[in-house]
Amino acid sequence: MPATPVIEVERLNVTYGDFAAVRDLSFHVQPGEFYALLGTNGAGKTSTLEVIEGHRRAASGAVRIFGESPRDRRAVRPRTGIMLQESGFSPDLTVRESVGLIGALSGRRDDVDRVLGIAGLTRKASTRVSQLSGGEKRRLDFATAVYGGPELVILDEPTTGLDIQSRDALWAAVDSLRDEGSTIVLTTHYLEEAQQRADRIGLMHEGTLHREGTVAELTQSLPSLIRFALPPGAPEPPIVGALNGAFHIETFSLQHDLHRLLGWAHDTGVELRDLQAGPTRLDDVFRAMSRD
Amino acid sequence: MLEIARNEMIQIFRNRLVLVTGLVIPVVVSGYFVHQHEVFSDLGSLGYIAAIVMFSVLAFGLYITAVTTLASRRQNLFLKRLRATAASDASILAGLVLPVTVIALIQAVAILIVLGVVATGPAQIPLLAVAILATTAMLVALALATAGLTNSPEHAQVTTLPVSLSLIAVASWVGITGTEDHALLKLLLPGGAATELVVNAWNGGVPLADSLVLLPITMAWVLVAVALANRLFRWEPRR
Repeated sequence: MPATPVIEVERLNVTYGDFAAVRDLSFHVQPGEFYALLGTNGAGKTSTLEVIEGHRRAASGAVRIFGESPRDRRAVRPRTGIMLQESGFSPDLTVRESVGLIGALSGRRDDVDRVLGIAGLTRKASTRVSQLSGGEKRRLDFATAVYGGPELVILDEPTTGLDIQSRDALWAAVDSLRDEGSTIVLTTHYLEEAQQRADRIGLMHEGTLHREGTVAELTQSLPSLIRFALPPGAPEPPIVGALNGAFHIETFSLQHDLHRLLGWAHDTGVELRDLQAGPTRLDDVFRAMSRD
Repeated sequence: MLEIARNEMIQIFRNRLVLVTGLVIPVVVSGYFVHQHEVFSDLGSLGYIAAIVMFSVLAFGLYITAVTTLASRRQNLFLKRLRATAASDASILAGLVLPVTVIALIQAVAILIVLGVVATGPAQIPLLAVAILATTAMLVALALATAGLTNSPEHAQVTTLPVSLSLIAVASWVGITGTEDHALLKLLLPGGAATELVVNAWNGGVPLADSLVLLPITMAWVLVAVALANRLFRWEPRR
């Protein structure tokens, strides 16, 4: 018997006056899954997340978290950690007081010092929020989201403003939560983060779910790419098209065509300059979606 | 709720601006009236001084501070943050306004005790307590409603003026001139019936039944304020 989804979104519509921000959106997130909701600016990700978080009402459709309405805070919040896109902490409270307050209200139990350690904020425990940098505020936000090891963690642009060390620490903490069985929902503009970690990705465009699947499923519909440049006067290789002065080969058979190209270069004695070859990346899918 | 209130109390004592507007100004204004009680009792009565003390503390200390606090907490998305927890809306709002309400009530009671010591005490303490509590409830609800129309803490300096100055004006008009003329108008104005209740409770000499008639009007203003709060309060900044 399939597990009950942690998040169920059925034909969700969100409107602002006459503007439809989200249109007939449906997707499910399974227990323990890492689901990334990606999209262009204005695609409707934030509106969707706000409904999932219980901050906004849907115009129509149904959203359930653990089988409950997301607005039923008493039922849903103790099982859900939310990292908001914008911080929202009181500037006059210290880091420790902020984590203690939000943690106490979360309905979960944890040790504040342990959580500060996870977020790399131990040395800032007595610092007022008004004196934190943007990156430190994001880490504070993360600390409140993971307080008590919630079953569902919603991460809205979690690494914006973080340096590379802080990003690594954050993802290590998320990996640890996954190992313990937590379900993760991520929105981000850093596509490589989603590509590296997400079990499934939903690509939103203009309020709808344009495509959904694993990274492999999303990228297999687009050709892989071989890029290179040639010295002046060199003959043109087979199966190429010019792109901004360079050469490129789009192929669904990367290994075969790369072998052919290298064979041709060897046989004709031509040097392939700046040679790059690789499978389609998520940002290629993203660009293709934006062009549609 | 208590956890929110405890942290709110910490913030009040760390913010000098809130401390000055919420604690110092009401005490200074009220202290002036108490110090000059002989002058003002000649102008109106001791009951009038009690009413003006109550409205000064509750309007300046409670109402303006609560509006400023709520606007600030909404502007920096702290309200949204609190709503991302398991706390209910009612407990969030109660936790946010509880400290400033308790501080204002303690201030009002303390200043009225001083007035009673340096002059003459109230004739009917229970009636006075009812008037203070009803006015407190009305101003908390009006603070929630006004916060809905207030975009920022700075904006609160403007949006709180109509209610706070009107209440002081009504309390002065009713307290000084009494309700023999224009009785209906004076009692139906916001704070009018509450002022008359305080005056009667402090000065005495009015049958209890006559004073109790003022209660429904006072409570009606509480209900109006609560209805306005329900309609106008916003949890997030306007987009």
